[in-house]
Amino acid sequence: MLTPEGMTRVLIAATKSQMEPVIREMYRQHLFHIEEFVEKDRIEYEGYRIGTPLPQANETSRELLRLRGITNAFMIRDDQEASQSERQKNAHLKEVVEKELPILEQEVEELLGRRSRLDTQVKEYEQKISGLQPFRDVPFDLELLRGYKTFSVFSGYILRDISLDIPHEMFTSDTKKAKFVILIVSNQHRGSAEQALLDAQFQAVPIPEENGLAKDRIGFYESQILAVKGELEDINRRLEDLKKEHKNLFLACNELLTADVEMAEAPLRFATTGETFIVEGWVPTAELEKFRQGIHYATGGKVYVYELEGSEIEDIAPTEYHNVGFAKPTEMLMDVYSRPRYTEIDPTLLVSIIFPIFFGIILGDVGYGAILLALSIGLQRFMKGDDGTRLLKVLRNASISSIVFGILFSEFFGFSLPWSPILFSRHLNIGGHAAGHGPEVTSLMIMAIWIGILQITLGRVLGIINHARQDHGSHRVKAVMANLGWIMVLWGILLMLWASFTMPFMPDFTGLPPIVMGLNLSSILGIVLILLGVIFIIRDSALEIVELPTILSHVLSYARLVGVGLSSVAIAMVVNFIAIGLIIEPQLESLSAVGVIIIIVGALVFVIGHLLNTILGMLGGGLQSIRLQYVEFFTKFYKGGGKKYTPFGMKKRFMED
Amino acid sequence: MADAATAVAATEMTVEMVKASQLGMKALGAGIAVGLTGIGTGLAEMAIGSAAVGATAENKDVFGLVLLLTVIPETIVIFGLVVGLLLLF
Repeated sequence: MLTPEGMTRVLIAATKSQMEPVIREMYRQHLFHIEEFVEKDRIEYEGYRIGTPLPQANETSRELLRLRGITNAFMIRDDQEASQSERQKNAHLKEVVEKELPILEQEVEELLGRRSRLDTQVKEYEQKISGLQPFRDVPFDLELLRGYKTFSVFSGYILRDISLDIPHEMFTSDTKKAKFVILIVSNQHRGSAEQALLDAQFQAVPIPEENGLAKDRIGFYESQILAVKGELEDINRRLEDLKKEHKNLFLACNELLTADVEMAEAPLRFATTGETFIVEGWVPTAELEKFRQGIHYATGGKVYVYELEGSEIEDIAPTEYHNVGFAKPTEMLMDVYSRPRYTEIDPTLLVSIIFPIFFGIILGDVGYGAILLALSIGLQRFMKGDDGTRLLKVLRNASISSIVFGILFSEFFGFSLPWSPILFSRHLNIGGHAAGHGPEVTSLMIMAIWIGILQITLGRVLGIINHARQDHGSHRVKAVMANLGWIMVLWGILLMLWASFTMPFMPDFTGLPPIVMGLNLSSILGIVLILLGVIFIIRDSALEIVELPTILSHVLSYARLVGVGLSSVAIAMVVNFIAIGLIIEPQLESLSAVGVIIIIVGALVFVIGHLLNTILGMLGGGLQSIRLQYVEFFTKFYKGGGKKYTPFGMKKRFMED
Repeated sequence: MADAATAVAATEMTVEMVKASQLGMKALGAGIAVGLTGIGTGLAEMAIGSAAVGATAENKDVFGLVLLLTVIPETIVIFGLVVGLLLLF
């Protein structure tokens, strides 16, 4: 339970003639995590080469590429699984891929080709229109502006009026930003005309290669665009119909071809000689027999399957979680930090228990818990993707714990429930009419500190186990002793504190008779523990001494369980006081028309305030409690950095096995 | 003369007033403790946080590690919070 799924290293060796059936069977079983072969990596594999893909690889990947092009154009997403009946329809998919798919692909490609051609046509027309636009008001045919030998024609925008003392003909029209001008002069006056235009900050506009009035031409092109757009719409409708009709077929074909390509390319991860191949990998120990038999049947026993053993092999094994159903969603929180190594303790179960408890201690309120519970259950229907649903399940567990602690703290949206707090009171004296005595901050603090002491001690104990399992030789003893040393220093400090101060909910050793130099048994024991602990730590690594203050800071860090929780209670009570005490209650004494509006405003303040506090509580409660796991708990024993177990094959969603 | 007499009367304090003022001082102290440590934490997390976001953008795998590094200075404000709460209650 606290260890990952057991893995066995398996070596498969056979002649190349068995390669395809072996790959097919491995893919079907979806159990074998292939350890990639790297040339010249290990001495025992000298002379082996990376394999070449199966013969059909090229063609299949080309086919897949075409299909993906189409699914992309269609924007088909494979976000749901096919139903059983749809799966059965896909039984003869192989034939479909060979016969129907090419025809369908051709049709779609033709449509797509036409669509892109029409798109470019629209763009061309639009460009022509924008070229014609300046000439819109010109009252004569455009061909009159071209093809002169003895005249020069200027057309463009000017910012200032020009006056010319040479013979010329000029047309002007006003536009929004500047004046549009067409100027015709004889070639001998060209120089002075250019100079005059330059003075008026002339910007040339090319004369379009069109005949007839510009206005008519624009109208013509606009009607052309309309026609083309109609055609485009037709094509889009056809494509949409095709998409609707064949969506499942496309997805199923995609799945089939992807599987084929993956299988065809698998030999790239194998070690091969001229006639044989070897592949190493990992199979969950529990499934090993099934795997072995499957391979045996598929090849008629012509394959050699061998289990490798040894602890140095275990260091590189992939990690697959092995948890009870309740703890499974928490695996997500572990992956965010880092997946455990194969040889390491997998703390998922511990986190799945401790995290909701911490969340509950911080946000212990029946009302907020109920809102979050409803939210986490309600959103599950809309949430797609594995990570999202797992996060919602974690939130669900946390909000149940929040309700339980709300009952213990007797809190409901900052109001107190009909009973007095069973655990400790967190009710603040806000608004002057709080029931009972104020918050028992000292007791709450000591509770938080105790939680810290216990969790950190647990972390160090797990550290001892991890080091005992993972390390070898003299380092192993030293590392185990160092972890023990950390526990001893922590408890030594505690013993010394208990010997000098009386604290609630903590053992009181102040009454013990002094033995030497005014120190009693508890103090002396504490000092001995601390000294021994420090020696143990130094023996492993002297630099660790600088970390000693973290004992204090990490334990005190658990005070956030109380601090963040109290701030959440305070906000809730302030919202209640403002909304009810200051806005609604004074109006209720003498009800008037304006009063009703003010009461509605008060209700609004109440709702928004508590909504805000729910979000704050969720973020604060979630982040702070996960942080306590990541920083204070995991640093004591957890390394992470394990490889993910990714078996060769895939879960079929659109085809039958 | 009369003004001086009223001034003296005004500065004479009862036990209740002293208690109330002590309460105020405690509240001020708690506020300063939380506020200043909060600023300290903020300053420290500023640089770490921006570097952490950059690192995560380049390589998502380091998220867990950089989150850990980012929240290390939070201890400072927790100390402030502890002092503040102990002062108040």
